[in-house]
Amino acid sequence: MTNKKRPLLEGLISGNTVLSGLMVISPVIVCGNTVMNALALMYAFSAITFITVMIGSFIPKRLPYGMKIVIYAVIASIIYIPVKAAAEEFFPDIIPRIGIYFMLVAVNSLITVQTEAKFYRMTRGKMTASLILHILGFDAVMLIIAAVRELLAYGTFCGRIVDADILISGLGAPFGGFILLGIFCGIYRGIGNAMRHDDDVSGGDGECF
Amino acid sequence: MQNKVKSQRFIWIDIMLTLIALIVMGYFYYGVRAVFLCGVCAAASLAAEIVSLRLMKRRFTADDLTCISDALILSLMLPAVMDYTIAAIACVFAVTVKNIFGGRKNIIFSPAAAGYVFLLTSWKSSVLMFTEPHVHTGAFEKAAELVSSASHSFNTTGRMNYTDFEILMGNVSGPTGAVSILLLAVAAIVLIFRRDISFGAFLGTLMGTAMLSVTVPMCSSLSDSVKYTFSTNMVLFAAVYIVSDKRIAPERNYFSFFYGMFISLFSYILIITTAAENAIVIASILFTPVSLGFKNLERYISRLEAEESAVKGEVEQ
Amino acid sequence: MFLISEFVVLLTTNLILTKALGTSTLFIAAGSRKNLLWIAITITAFTTVGSAGAYLINGLLPENFTDLRLLLYVLIIGVLYFALLSVLYFTDGKSFGTTRKYVHVSAFNCAVMGTLFTISENADADTSLNNIVSFIIRGAEAGTGFILSAFILMAAFKILNSKEVPAAFRGFPAMLVYLGIISMAMYALV
Repeated sequence: MTNKKRPLLEGLISGNTVLSGLMVISPVIVCGNTVMNALALMYAFSAITFITVMIGSFIPKRLPYGMKIVIYAVIASIIYIPVKAAAEEFFPDIIPRIGIYFMLVAVNSLITVQTEAKFYRMTRGKMTASLILHILGFDAVMLIIAAVRELLAYGTFCGRIVDADILISGLGAPFGGFILLGIFCGIYRGIGNAMRHDDDVSGGDGECF
Repeated sequence: MQNKVKSQRFIWIDIMLTLIALIVMGYFYYGVRAVFLCGVCAAASLAAEIVSLRLMKRRFTADDLTCISDALILSLMLPAVMDYTIAAIACVFAVTVKNIFGGRKNIIFSPAAAGYVFLLTSWKSSVLMFTEPHVHTGAFEKAAELVSSASHSFNTTGRMNYTDFEILMGNVSGPTGAVSILLLAVAAIVLIFRRDISFGAFLGTLMGTAMLSVTVPMCSSLSDSVKYTFSTNMVLFAAVYIVSDKRIAPERNYFSFFYGMFISLFSYILIITTAAENAIVIASILFTPVSLGFKNLERYISRLEAEESAVKGEVEQ
Repeated sequence: MFLISEFVVLLTTNLILTKALGTSTLFIAAGSRKNLLWIAITITAFTTVGSAGAYLINGLLPENFTDLRLLLYVLIIGVLYFALLSVLYFTDGKSFGTTRKYVHVSAFNCAVMGTLFTISENADADTSLNNIVSFIIRGAEAGTGFILSAFILMAAFKILNSKEVPAAFRGFPAMLVYLGIISMAMYALV
């Protein structure tokens, strides 16, 4: 992996929004218990974050930090309105189940923290690519965790019953999300440490993590 | 160091002996099924421990056999007719969680308590339904008729339809190992005198329970309230094997006393307000931060004492 | 007995342990006593005063415009954010550089926004809760719940970051599992 590609791929793998940055974990823990919930949240998160960050990149840099953060949050909450209207068309049953997390996804840490800390320090092209990969990183984790939880807790996948002998209903509850996310984070870190060790031993040209 | 390792092994042996006695009692009341369940739990725990130690790149030593005692404690909290797969999953969960936190040298929660609460949240009906004593279910048969425990009827009605002798001998419906009150009392005395469990935590649990059962009785007769409170809801069992676990309770007796007392007070209030069965096990998990807080305080005090003695030593020189 | 019952209510309605709101902020708060103190104070201030603002907004907002709630709550928090920064700047300019980061961390996070939405949701479902006193009390309760969760995590912070914990799980992964088990015990109470 060349050093030029590393910052760009960071959002997807090495600096994954959820597993590495521990950002936006509340929706993953509470609502990420079925694939349909995950798809609704992925849609909300992706649409609102992408549009907000792109629009926010035109805000003058000279403004004080605090003012910019509030402006980004205001932009996100305005974008939320049409996004929610569209979501009610695609996911009519899911939105009431997700409840407040649909709104909370709108003011997530990628918008309120990472914009100033990371994205707006890059050129527009790199920023767009990095943003997309950060969003995809969240989406991937959300989907995988939701799929595992739905399978183990309810014995279904995308609402379709799968032949499962034993169901661990606790995994569908928030505590199950906490524990499973913690285990996934540990596995992710373990793989990263192992790959870093292999790279060091083989004298690779760059780290994957 | 060698003495400490030896004493930990002796503690484990003593606890195992008391647990085996409870398993024998379980066999008497529930047949070979109870023993099989304990065997399955032990095997699952052992396998999970070996695998997780391999993943952690640590060697499996004799000290890691403590996973078996945790598995037996968990199995004795369950109905004899518990599904083997579910019990095995709980044991794997308990061992995994223990090893995520660093294994036997860094235990935060009682593995048996964590496994039990996991079962309670995921398979509540399976965990809280039992066969009557002397109903022997085959090792691979399904239970014919299940009843709720004596604890449940006491929590909801304030009455126990059993004689004192039946309660003492464990001839009541309930978890396999948690109802043999006489045996548990003997085990408690043996383990306390051999310093295998925390005396402070055990005393605190007993005193807290006794205090509230007298001041806020669950039935009209005070003596019945005290008697039935101690013999139901796994109070005695948890007091011996979970709350007084030396790996979890604070070291100093006065801290562990209050730790035990807080758990007993909290669990009693839970029982009286919500009729929650076996609330003491849930309370032991919730009060883990209290134990950790006390342990932090103990370390701080020890450090101060060490500094003070070092200064005194310098002055004397 | 009343105290223990209230403690049980505080646990079972705890926004972090039951709804995972503000978990990331909690990890920062549990890292040191200084962090805990400042973040706890700012979050409680935001949730308490913000709840009062949310009540006023809910009263003025027509029923068909509930989608504007998010925007208006963000504006309330924005106003509070500037107000708090100004107060800190003018009262103690020397340590403003240190203290302002706590305000930045506490303002637009799930704990605060989630509290406002949860309280409003509860008030919509139960009209007896739809008064300013109830909103402020629930807001303060949420802040207290955050402080309680921070203490719960702080008690185990050192042990979860110790060398005994496998490197892959040391720190945040172990903390998530720890919070999960506490949350599991609370779930068993319900």
